[in-house]
Amino acid sequence: MQIEYAHVFDIPLEAVWKLIQDEEVLKKSIPGCKSFVRTQEDVYHVEMGLSVGPIKGLFTGQVQMDSQEEPSYYRLLMKGKGMPGEIDATAHMHLKEEERGVVVSCRTEVVVTGVMASVGQRVMGGVAKLVLGQFFKSAEAEMKQIADES
Amino acid sequence: MAGMIGSPVKRKEDPRLITGNGYFTDDIKLPGMLYGTFLRSPHAHAVIKRIDASKARAFPGVAAVFTAAELADKMKAVPAMWFLPGCELKPKDRPALAADKVRYVGETIAFVVAKDRYVAKDALDLIEVDYEVLSAAVQQEQAMQEGAPQLFDDVPGNLALLWKAGEIPDEVFEQAEVVIKERFYNQRVVPNPMETRAAVAQYNPGGGEMTIWCTSQNPHIHRMIYADVLGIPESKLRIIAPDVGGGFGSKIATYSEEAVVACAARELKCPVKWVEERKEHFQATTHGRDEVIEVELAGKTDGTLTALRVKNTANLGAYLSTFGAGCPTIDFGLMVTGAYKIPQAAVVTYGVYTNTTPTDAYRGAGKPEATYQIERAIDLFADKIGMDPVEVRRINFVPKEAFPYGNAMGVTYDSGDYHLTLDKALEMLDYQALREEQEELRAQGRLVGIGFSTYVELCGFGPSAVAGAIGFQGGVWENSTVRVHPSGKVTVFTGTSPHGQGTATSFSQVVAEKLGIPIEDIELVHSDTQSVSMGWGTYGSRATAVGGAAVSIAADRVVEKAKKIAAHELETTVEEIDFTAGIFRVKGDPDRQRTFQEIAKSANFAWNLPPGVEPSLEGQSFFDPANFVYPFGTHICVVEVDAQTGEVFLMRYIAVDDVGRVINPLLAEGQVHGGIAQGVGQALWEGAVYDENGQLLSGTFMDYTMPKARFFPMIESAFTETLSPVNPLGAKGVGETGTTAAPPAVVNAVMDALKPFGVKNLDMPLTPQKVWRAIQNGREKQ
Repeated sequence: MQIEYAHVFDIPLEAVWKLIQDEEVLKKSIPGCKSFVRTQEDVYHVEMGLSVGPIKGLFTGQVQMDSQEEPSYYRLLMKGKGMPGEIDATAHMHLKEEERGVVVSCRTEVVVTGVMASVGQRVMGGVAKLVLGQFFKSAEAEMKQIADES
Repeated sequence: MAGMIGSPVKRKEDPRLITGNGYFTDDIKLPGMLYGTFLRSPHAHAVIKRIDASKARAFPGVAAVFTAAELADKMKAVPAMWFLPGCELKPKDRPALAADKVRYVGETIAFVVAKDRYVAKDALDLIEVDYEVLSAAVQQEQAMQEGAPQLFDDVPGNLALLWKAGEIPDEVFEQAEVVIKERFYNQRVVPNPMETRAAVAQYNPGGGEMTIWCTSQNPHIHRMIYADVLGIPESKLRIIAPDVGGGFGSKIATYSEEAVVACAARELKCPVKWVEERKEHFQATTHGRDEVIEVELAGKTDGTLTALRVKNTANLGAYLSTFGAGCPTIDFGLMVTGAYKIPQAAVVTYGVYTNTTPTDAYRGAGKPEATYQIERAIDLFADKIGMDPVEVRRINFVPKEAFPYGNAMGVTYDSGDYHLTLDKALEMLDYQALREEQEELRAQGRLVGIGFSTYVELCGFGPSAVAGAIGFQGGVWENSTVRVHPSGKVTVFTGTSPHGQGTATSFSQVVAEKLGIPIEDIELVHSDTQSVSMGWGTYGSRATAVGGAAVSIAADRVVEKAKKIAAHELETTVEEIDFTAGIFRVKGDPDRQRTFQEIAKSANFAWNLPPGVEPSLEGQSFFDPANFVYPFGTHICVVEVDAQTGEVFLMRYIAVDDVGRVINPLLAEGQVHGGIAQGVGQALWEGAVYDENGQLLSGTFMDYTMPKARFFPMIESAFTETLSPVNPLGAKGVGETGTTAAPPAVVNAVMDALKPFGVKNLDMPLTPQKVWRAIQNGREKQ
């Protein structure tokens, strides 16, 4: 299935580009993140807990960032496994400066198994939006704090 | 009691069930019992690279974790039991547990046994499995194409079987005055009985006896198959199906889970219980239908049908299920001409393995699909020649005088009078008035449609010789013992294994009528392989026509013997004895009499029996019918479609069924109601949907629409009685009439309602979205 989401950052483009791929920002912003460890350049081992409706449990997996075209595009490859099923996702992240701010839009191709598949898109789409919304919100707060500190 | 047959007696089963005193498999609690749960595959098609159950095994409360490695030399894979000849069948057995490859979402990989269900479920999370995910073959036509993912190395093109019956040259269709060509997808449905599957197994390590309580429609078939799978002599294996909460075909099949539970009980020397969750039921219990049916129907402009050619591409799922090979071939193919005298017919069926749950019999098994294609095609034909669909049916009906009638596919319909049910149904409907009303409503923009289904189905399996000829690995006779106790109370043993039909009531009525005793004096024993000598199960609407016939003959034999004893005591000959309403009287001297109860006592005490007559009073029958039975009828559905939303509303539903002799009209009507609910369910709401990766998207009741009582008008049901000559009761079968007749009646009605928009065909289920789109497309074209 496809999931699309966009968030507008009130932060300069260069800062968004740098910080949205920053290990510390990611660790603090991923909802339910229990562990975020770099295993190779641009590859991280992640543990996150999720609890939204029937999609409940601890997911472990790996996140990889590649195909960077500074400052407008990069790709996220995610593979995760948990009791509700397995996730295999490819997210295309586009950054664009607009009048209202920096728009980060992601278009994600997701393949899921288990409960996540059988409960259908209706629930999955909602959960994904909720999780992405939480992520971008806390990422923005995190980035602003870093920007203020520096 | 005279008049018991045909009387609307209330179900004997109900006081137990409605007061919470039923006894289902999950009610069984044995000392020291452990609980098991299965780890199931999240992938439709994957290589298993590694299974590590060590953490689960170490989890407190876990008794054992079984994987394929642990069961390798303990049990065999579970085979199918219908090996259809002449179709290059490539049967693939259900593995005990998946060893190196998984082939559908929900396939079992490991079995965790623990002190309770909670611990077992928690331990499931600790089993680590590494998969190499493969692309999946999901839809049957795509699975046959070159380059499609292959499930088995030795099944090229995933083609499990190719069955051909009859041949018609292309010229017949090229030269025909009228030809209808259409493709109908008879969608996949999930049986969903109220009770999911369950099993409890107990093993005696001293003597080697095994008892399995399980949710079975045919415990003796389960015994036969599991004895071989588990390596236990049939004489030491006892299968008991206690109260069973519905099956709809899904509990015919022999699965691997029940055998794994038994295997675990044997290994652990403790009783083990497993109860299937609803989510597991959706994924792992057999599904029904899933057949792509392409039809060519030829005829003349005067309404006469001349030839029918059908291609069925059937999705068999990942393994060959118990009756899997028979449903889209024999059950479907032999009935494609329906109630019509179509002189030429030919069928070809492709049975295809895919990365989906195996399919098998589902209430009707092949006959609903056969009925759907011919009833829909006839409506398209009628539309094309501009004739009333009722008239086309009348012109082509097999006439009453033609019975027994051999159809173009080679089966012989036992008896029938198709005009009889049609006339009665039309009278109930007031057809002409409704057609006029329909026109008026159309003028007001309201979309009302009338749909017909004049079906005939093949029931009452069947002569055992035919079973042999079509590769069915068993007999299809039935047996009964009617045992009269000294008090005159009676125990009836039957091989028929009910799972909600009310068989104890209807069979008691037969015995009460024959023996002239109150129905309260009769108890039925069934569904236990140790109590009943043999039985071939409840499916194919065969309980009454075959099992009931055996009961009837066994009761006759009791009367025969009782008459000898009565004649001896009354000092006359058997010929001089008249037996009515439970009293043996000397003809012409009615004061000389004995009651049934007096003879029961005499027979069992055996103080004074006639020479050559052995003690006790018992009759036994092993009944193998001479033919199948062919119930038929007319269903009419009236719908209104909401043009704004596409929603279909049932306005009226009329069912006139002829199921031969009706033993209990209350039970028969209940079967008709339930069958119609399921049939309308398939027509309008139900459907198992897989995505392209083989993930079951409609895997819960949130995503799979079950029919609800409030969706239905009061069903107007009536019966006519055209007796069957093949069994002493004259009975046919009623259990599958609704699922067979309803889908085309409903779809024909909706197509009739959508006629103003030029809509010819929509595939089931007719969801509001699908109907709404068809209306929009129709409007754009206008």
